[in-house]
Amino acid sequence: MHGQTERPAADNQSHAVPEWKALLDAAVDAIIVIDHRGLIETYNSAAEVMFGFSAQEVLGKNVSLLMPEPYKSAHDGYIHNYLETRSARIIGIGREARGKRKGGADFAIDLSVGEIPTADQPKFVGIVRDITERKRSEEEVHQTRERLAQFGRLSTLGEMAASLAHELNQPLTAIATYTQACQRLIESGRGDDDQILATLKKCDAQAQRAGEVIRRLRQFVKKREAGRREVSCDDIMHDLAALAEVDARDNRIPLTIDVARGLPNVMADTVQIQQVILNLIRNGIDAMMNMDHYYQGILVSVNKFKKDQVKIMVTDHGSGMTKETEKSIFHPFFTTKRSGLGLGLAICRSIIESHGGVLSFKRNPSGGTTFYFTLPIISETKA
Amino acid sequence: MTDYNPTVFLVDDDEAVRDSLGLLMKSVALASQSFASADEFLAEFDPDCPGCLVLDIRMPGMSGMELQQKLIEKRAILPIIFITGHGDIPMAVEAMQRGAVDFIPKPFRDHELLDRINKALEDDQNNRDTLLEREEVEKRIEELTPREKQVMELVVQGKANKVIAGDLDVSQRTVEIHRARVMEKMKARSLARLVRMVMQIQEQSF
Repeated sequence: MHGQTERPAADNQSHAVPEWKALLDAAVDAIIVIDHRGLIETYNSAAEVMFGFSAQEVLGKNVSLLMPEPYKSAHDGYIHNYLETRSARIIGIGREARGKRKGGADFAIDLSVGEIPTADQPKFVGIVRDITERKRSEEEVHQTRERLAQFGRLSTLGEMAASLAHELNQPLTAIATYTQACQRLIESGRGDDDQILATLKKCDAQAQRAGEVIRRLRQFVKKREAGRREVSCDDIMHDLAALAEVDARDNRIPLTIDVARGLPNVMADTVQIQQVILNLIRNGIDAMMNMDHYYQGILVSVNKFKKDQVKIMVTDHGSGMTKETEKSIFHPFFTTKRSGLGLGLAICRSIIESHGGVLSFKRNPSGGTTFYFTLPIISETKA
Repeated sequence: MTDYNPTVFLVDDDEAVRDSLGLLMKSVALASQSFASADEFLAEFDPDCPGCLVLDIRMPGMSGMELQQKLIEKRAILPIIFITGHGDIPMAVEAMQRGAVDFIPKPFRDHELLDRINKALEDDQNNRDTLLEREEVEKRIEELTPREKQVMELVVQGKANKVIAGDLDVSQRTVEIHRARVMEKMKARSLARLVRMVMQIQEQSF
């Protein structure tokens, strides 16, 4: 069959049988077939939409037309290398690259390439997906993470508590060691008064240092009125959702966030409230790690409560808590986790209380636990 | 066995912790040397200096764990006691698995730390004695002739002179002479002693 007619490259689309053409045009991804010289033979409807060129404009032209530099100049070389060496950098693998629209704007793509063996020179089919949106949301999550970390300095209360414990531990260790050394020096008669006195002064300085850490903690939790302003519940939940979803996805636990419409604004320190919710979600994830029915996931809901409050609920379908755990759950340094400090919920509670709300929990009838807290809304008269 | 003058090396980034530990060592008449970072310690590290290392597990720059790794790579035998914070237990367990002597969470009682230090110094002294002995035995083996080494190997395997004579195709009298020379050069008063020395050399590490 081959070799009898000279096939004009630009006209090849007309060869396609109707089913084949329908299939190509139904695809969401751009599908482009090129010959061994890089000239476009097939160009589907999705490609027309994605790149902005019509099929007429590109058929028979070099496919590098659809690429920005440095891909544009390198592309003929890629094909040439492949035909020489048969070693492919992309065929059968797929990778991220850049495409160029008719107006010249370049955009992020996922590109996969396959070889079409023919009797003479091979052809190549490229499937192109526009990943501009995906890139943008990845970037957004990244930025939110950065911002939360920057404003709150630490992204979770657990981390904050750990660093706090470390900062307190240093002066306490020094004080304990100084005083114990003094006792030994005095008992053995080897310590002179000057040395003991100097050491006592050092102890004093270390005690002041520990006090300073505590003062900073108080400031962080209680007196951060400055960080408080009128915010909408949507704003609080929006940034948080991106972060929490990453966590949940990493642990393969479904997360649903449900914010009622038209909620009034609350007066809150956005980052602190986000930290509380994130902390509750992470606890929920931990509670569900060893469950078979984890597909029920975690539900975060925000609703109006009574006349003047908003209620935020974090419901997990985890293993639930024992009676003993329930009794102590808000006590500082109480923990059921192997590497936890037991400060997360205690700090959460003081943050919520400093906002004029209440943090509490209840058992779910179907298993697991719901932690919930309220925030007072801004009265309409005041606003 | 030898004069043992150990130094307790203290590595902690916190100045007050470091200073107080130094005073504690002084209060029990132990020589100590303080370093504010793992790098500082490594720069002055001398493998022939006996003692032990009291090491903060969490430090900016090179961490205690990384320092341990570096020392392992240098085949250092200095025993390490890690001091750790509250959340560092999993890390400390890993350090133990890599051969640290012990770890102690902050804050600690002085006798808890001193007990561990004394134990570490004892270990260090034993290890260094064993090393010295081994070097000594290696030196003695160097002085044997090839024939004497052959005879020693067969003797240690428990073979009788007659059998060795057959194996090496020499007279029994010759074996007896070689054997006497081996015992003399190795300073071994009994066959059991000789066997223990050779086994010690064959064990490559502690």
